[in-house]
Amino acid sequence: MVGLTLPTGLMQDRVSLLRRAFHEIGVKTVSRVDLTATSRVDLLRLLRRFRNSYDVIAVKCVNQNVAAVACRDRRVDVVFFDPRNGKVRFNHSLANLLRCGLELNFPSTLVKGADSAVYARISREVAIAREHRTRVVLSSGSLSAQMVRSPSEISAIASAIGLSAEQSRRGVSEVPRSIILRNFLKRSQEYVEEGVKVVTPSAR
Amino acid sequence: MAMARRYFLIKIVSEVPLVEQQFNQVMTESVRRYFGEFGLARIDPRVIRFDSQRSEVIVACRKEGAQDLEAAMALISEVSGSQMALLTLRFSGTIKSLRRKKREKHSTPS
Repeated sequence: MVGLTLPTGLMQDRVSLLRRAFHEIGVKTVSRVDLTATSRVDLLRLLRRFRNSYDVIAVKCVNQNVAAVACRDRRVDVVFFDPRNGKVRFNHSLANLLRCGLELNFPSTLVKGADSAVYARISREVAIAREHRTRVVLSSGSLSAQMVRSPSEISAIASAIGLSAEQSRRGVSEVPRSIILRNFLKRSQEYVEEGVKVVTPSAR
Repeated sequence: MAMARRYFLIKIVSEVPLVEQQFNQVMTESVRRYFGEFGLARIDPRVIRFDSQRSEVIVACRKEGAQDLEAAMALISEVSGSQMALLTLRFSGTIKSLRRKKREKHSTPS
């Protein structure tokens, strides 16, 4: 299964074309959108607009207000932070608020001109995630094919930075899978709300 | 008693062809950068076989440093200004089983 991060303005026929290309070689696809908002109102508007159109909603936290809303909102699946952005960082209060997963993009944030400040910041965030037993999603966050890494490599990097062995293993397997399965269920015809679904005669 | 080791089969994906010495230098530098001198001594990475035709390398390290070596190699992204990636294809406790796993993979019909 492959997660396709799609721009919000992409036409539906282009999306179908992209998905068909993967389906032809036997790979299932999951649509994902990265939302970037500068205020709470903006983020809520974007969530209202795009929640039902994508399988996975990720929010890039650019400031503390957006981070607080994104961490609390049930419609958000994963949040991620730019370690080079000094305005916001993943701290204990956000870890307490967090209902969704925290995404860590390892090779991409560590290799592209990263200095000791970036490393220090990432290891602090990892330590907080470990302390609060946050649901961590590990990803390569790559923009090119050369930067894509295997799940075991990403898990090894996470362990080296300080994430527990269990968290780093689950971060490339169970946690992303559970997010996708939950969203498939939510987007199905039978789903009404949390714990309630229509049981059709064919389902019996 | 002999030190337990782990063996990695690595695929080099690079824009420019690499020689063994270059590969060794890049790998050692990456381990030193992320884990320091003590880490380098603890991991003790060594090139066992370098196949420039297939762009495949067998690297050995100490058993307790295997995960760190995998991380250090995954964090390599360029060599002398051009993009590069080292992909871990297999890892095993002996070179023999590493080769067997590789053969099994190639003989499995897709």
